[in-house]
Amino acid sequence: MRRLYRWGMVLCLASLAACASTAVDEARGNTGPAALFGIWVPDAAPRSLLTADGKAPPLNEQAASIYNERRQRLARGDTSFDPTTWCAGPGMPRILTMHYPLEIRGDSNRVAFIHGWYRWFRIVDLGTAAVDPPLPLTLGFPVGQWEGNTLVIRTVGLIDATVLDASGLPHSEQLTLTEHLRVLPDGRLEDRITLEDPQTFTRPWETVLTFHRDPSARVEDDVCPDRMARGEPAEQVPPPGRQKPPAKPVARQPVAAAGNPPAPAQRLAGMWEPKTFGFMVPNAPLSKAGQEIAERNAAAMQGGRIMHTAWTSCRPGAISTMTMPREKIVILESPDEVTLLFEMPRMVRRIRMNAAHPDKPQPGYVGDSTGHWEGGTLVVDTVGFNGYAELDARGQPTSAQLHTVERFTPAADGSIDIETTVTDPEYYSQPFVIKRSWKKSPARHPFEYDCMENPRQEDFENAYFVRERYRPTCMRVEGEGMELSKVVCRKPE
Amino acid sequence: MFILVVALGFIRAVAAHHSTAEFDYTKQVTIKGVVKEVQWTNPHSYIQLLTDGDNGQKIQWSVEIGSPSLNINMGWRKDSVKAGDLVTMNLSPARSGKPYGTLRVLTFEDGRTLDGVAARVSGGPPAAPPISPAPAAKGP
Repeated sequence: MRRLYRWGMVLCLASLAACASTAVDEARGNTGPAALFGIWVPDAAPRSLLTADGKAPPLNEQAASIYNERRQRLARGDTSFDPTTWCAGPGMPRILTMHYPLEIRGDSNRVAFIHGWYRWFRIVDLGTAAVDPPLPLTLGFPVGQWEGNTLVIRTVGLIDATVLDASGLPHSEQLTLTEHLRVLPDGRLEDRITLEDPQTFTRPWETVLTFHRDPSARVEDDVCPDRMARGEPAEQVPPPGRQKPPAKPVARQPVAAAGNPPAPAQRLAGMWEPKTFGFMVPNAPLSKAGQEIAERNAAAMQGGRIMHTAWTSCRPGAISTMTMPREKIVILESPDEVTLLFEMPRMVRRIRMNAAHPDKPQPGYVGDSTGHWEGGTLVVDTVGFNGYAELDARGQPTSAQLHTVERFTPAADGSIDIETTVTDPEYYSQPFVIKRSWKKSPARHPFEYDCMENPRQEDFENAYFVRERYRPTCMRVEGEGMELSKVVCRKPE
Repeated sequence: MFILVVALGFIRAVAAHHSTAEFDYTKQVTIKGVVKEVQWTNPHSYIQLLTDGDNGQKIQWSVEIGSPSLNINMGWRKDSVKAGDLVTMNLSPARSGKPYGTLRVLTFEDGRTLDGVAARVSGGPPAAPPISPAPAAKGP
């Protein structure tokens, strides 16, 4: 009830200037749920988690043995116990210890943590009962509730393949995390995390991570395998002593304060899934150059080779994610942005509302999207692509000249119809339209698609890479006899 | 009807990550051995199975079983199969001739079974449709 009241006040204030002054503070984001929203930068991004009073975590004997062995490997430069080494999911709370900004957005049903490392996002379901996890995930199944100005999140169903921190602190799938997130009086964000795992720790313990605001920080579309292919590390870590000191507290910018445009009706907000799986774009009007690529791809597939596109090499672009989505899509709406969070392939698309494209957008996989409402239709204009996206599973190409206009229209049956007009004069002789439709998802919570989790050697044998960029840097190699498999990364030549 | 819908989903889901040309869905091979390792992972899960070769040597098979979310939908749990389990696996083999395949049915010693993706796909996933010259498309 309190939560409803708070959200009611936020929405009320977004559209009516004449609300009570205490609630003005809330709407300005100084207190209440909106205070947590926006971009945060880690104060310390610790490589090793410590208890709140600075002590070593209370590992039991067996876990201590695992941890010591990992620390010895770490001293030799071997980080293979940490899946982030090959761009797989960091898990919780490891992802909060990375030196990347994160953004918190949300509505009355869910809060999303959008992380700066490789397109990961964590959806926290609000006001629902705890989930009985059907399968363990790297970020688990978080359920949250507001207690005053504090967001309390309880997470279960955390896969034991991840580590708790970069030093290899282990955990089991019995791990339960309880987080208390709040904005401190000095303006910083505090996440106070209680870890309970009777298989790993002798008692529950607490660690504290803090974050500050930095107006220059951005959550970019980070693509880990591209960094690996350039010879950069999977995780950027500032040298010791070179970490930014906690910035001076910065008053947060209001999210939906009086005077701003009215809060939108939540026309698209919610969790969706494709009505049908669409993996082909038939009859696209390929140009001569496009036709040559399509024929080359077809010949390779008909010759029995395994074709790798941006999608299958874990670098999907906005266009392929729209033509070939699977599983859940969470949409959040705020006055300034419509955010699309795709489960599979994993991607975050941000549509800046009533905004203009920059003169020279930085080319990328997701491009630069602006949106506006035309009656009941959200119209999204996207430019600034990098040319590394295939339209479909046959690898029909796109170029950096790609320009899409998407029309999202809520339909009478409660679904969303999406018409995408594709213009790309390099590979297509004329604009054409791709139609897709999403329906409300009955699921409680999205799963995860950790595309880089298991880069099996067999998947890359007899492979045909549509673009050289899609060659893997890391592969899982089978051990002989009883020796277990391991993922091996090569340095690019 | 449900099975049909699910099967169709599987076909397309398999096709989603990579071409399925690597397996010959018209063939079946049955192997028996001890589970060495289970990789419960995306984009595909695998069981590494050690079988006895003709000359007493151990052969390690790599058997694709699906992906975590697909396997859950088919009734698996993460601990359904564990290292050390003695199992029989009926699979569609890789065209390469290597000890590699995609699971059709796994049978435990007590007779319990678990289906792999290939079991739900009669004749295997469809071949990729040929590219045809593009007719004039409607503009926006």
